[in-house]
Amino acid sequence: MITKRRLITGMVVAFATVAMATGCSSVGDVGGGAPAAAAGGSEGAFRIATVSKVEGITWFQRMSEGVTMFNDDNSDTVEAWQTGPDTGDSAKQVAIVEDLIAQGVDAIIVVPNDPLGIAPTLKKARDQGIIVGTTEAAALVGTDAIDFDIEAFDNVAFGEGFAKGLAEAMGGKGDYVGSVGSLTSESHMTWFTSAVAYLEKNHPDMHLVADQPYENDNDDAKSRASAQEIVNAYPDLGGFLATTPSGGSGMASVLKEKNITDIANVSLSLPSVSGPDLDAGWMSYAQTWDPAGWGYALNAVALAMLNGETVATGDDLGYDGYNSVTVDGQLILGNATMELRKGEPAAPYAF
Amino acid sequence: MQRRSLFRRTFDRPMTSMEKYLLAIILVYIVIVAVKNPQFFSLETLFDMIRNGSGIMILALGVLVVLISGGIDVSFTAIAIVSGYTSVRLMKVLGFDNLLFVILVAVVIGAVLGSINALLIHFFRLPTLIVTLGTASAFHGLMAIALGTKTYTAIDVPQSMLDFGSSSLLTISAERSQYSLSVFFLIVLACIVLTWFLLYRTMLGRMVFAIGSNEESASRIGISLLRTKLFVYCYSGFLSGLMGIIYFSGLSYINPVSLIGTELMIIAAVVIGGAKLTGGEGTILGAVLGIIIVQLFQSTLVFLGLGASWNNLFFGSVLMVSLGIMYYRQRQLNKRSLVFSSN
Repeated sequence: MITKRRLITGMVVAFATVAMATGCSSVGDVGGGAPAAAAGGSEGAFRIATVSKVEGITWFQRMSEGVTMFNDDNSDTVEAWQTGPDTGDSAKQVAIVEDLIAQGVDAIIVVPNDPLGIAPTLKKARDQGIIVGTTEAAALVGTDAIDFDIEAFDNVAFGEGFAKGLAEAMGGKGDYVGSVGSLTSESHMTWFTSAVAYLEKNHPDMHLVADQPYENDNDDAKSRASAQEIVNAYPDLGGFLATTPSGGSGMASVLKEKNITDIANVSLSLPSVSGPDLDAGWMSYAQTWDPAGWGYALNAVALAMLNGETVATGDDLGYDGYNSVTVDGQLILGNATMELRKGEPAAPYAF
Repeated sequence: MQRRSLFRRTFDRPMTSMEKYLLAIILVYIVIVAVKNPQFFSLETLFDMIRNGSGIMILALGVLVVLISGGIDVSFTAIAIVSGYTSVRLMKVLGFDNLLFVILVAVVIGAVLGSINALLIHFFRLPTLIVTLGTASAFHGLMAIALGTKTYTAIDVPQSMLDFGSSSLLTISAERSQYSLSVFFLIVLACIVLTWFLLYRTMLGRMVFAIGSNEESASRIGISLLRTKLFVYCYSGFLSGLMGIIYFSGLSYINPVSLIGTELMIIAAVVIGGAKLTGGEGTILGAVLGIIIVQLFQSTLVFLGLGASWNNLFFGSVLMVSLGIMYYRQRQLNKRSLVFSSN
């Protein structure tokens, strides 16, 4: 009996400890939708809430800067702020949106963790007259869960951008392999396959030597180990194309260690991550987009809709990459691909 | 006079059947990969694997000691990250750059966190798995609240750690590239010798085996449970702290949310090596072979042209077959010697 009681005590203590570590922050996040300023905000201003996938990481911190910029530019008519779950969890995101609906905000912007999972909640918001905008949610385009969806770029064109960078760095010939976060990631696979298709068509001397891209789980240690193995397994390798920041920096670190200068390394990356490698030559070319642009452009469209205006092809949403958008029904396409090369200062982009 | 094999002369004991079995798997697997892709069979691959595997090898030694003492610790990856990250942040705040300092602070923090585990386990008489499950979250949560989870890319990583990560014992230049035997190899060797010495050449080590075999009888012959457990968990924390710095230095990238989640794989590797989950048994060589198998499976998929899921399949199969054999043999042995115990 004593051991049983001990076990129960143990479990209670352990759960209490876990709850202490995680509980406070998640409760705070769900409840803390509106900023303190919201209570005393200007009368009659539209209240627009942006919900990120997860708060606290650089990428979405940068997105919130775009939201803040938009808020400052339109402070007389808008109160815009960003919130989000403390882990990339779809259920927590749903809870935050439910909370925002209850608060009666005028528009909700979401970067969904699971677009189809959150759709019913978004539909509920729309039924109550709230404007709903999303990004990275092409699956919701054409449904009644959203009013509009902004994609930073056309995924096929983004993939071809990698291909062009790789072809340039390899001089249009040689063997190359690819590495994606996971084979089930739709955007990564679209980028990779469209890059390969572009190279097959335009650079017949470039050969993909492993039909399937390798997986790096977007994990730093795995990416590095995988890059090392790739370099050893393909002694004639001329190029490497990664669709995750860790993929490119893992390869850069291996090339540096082994002092290999004839493998072109092209990757999705962030300016803060790829800057030193691009400058030192361990990475040839990187591509990204600025999440602050998402924050700004999504809020701009929401405000336009709240004002009863429509957004049409060619409109300027007020942020680089969204100066002339393409509108197709609910889908709004930007041209926000950001190219990162040697010598181009990363300093202005703090992400 | 009986001739003694090289193994017996070195280790002063016969090879366990588990070790033989693992060694055979490793050799067969290496031959298969080498036949499939001759590029694999090179010194360069070996050096790369040593570099990539050194971190988890150090963690595995800590896991082994804990398993021998009859516990299961799942907080060691969290301790590695928390002590490594805290130490780097502290050094950045103080504004200087010294490898010895950063390692020293990390191992001290690691040992302190380990002693918290030991005290909780001893004084509340709680199951080790549950305590360390709790402390893993609590330690990491506390760090995230107090320091945040900002990542440092190569520009912001202290120079001494970058140098440490790229320093080598031996560099060989090939026609296209160069490859080197990382200094980590020496550290791993030192940790193995230290662990061997502590387990087999000190009273403390014998006490660890004793409490792992039977806590009650160990305590009755006068072994201090508190002291022994403090040693076990402090040592595991010490190794974790050291590994944290090696991990960050090797990657030249500091990400305080990485590594956590790999602990069960490392525990499984040590268990494959013959360490018993019920305590009292386990060998260093077995743990080393277990980690080599994990590392081998992980870093041969490209050579074999297989996807990452194959790694899980291989590893899972070896784990199940190994444990099946190990416990079946144990039962047979028990039956023969008329022992009817649950393990």
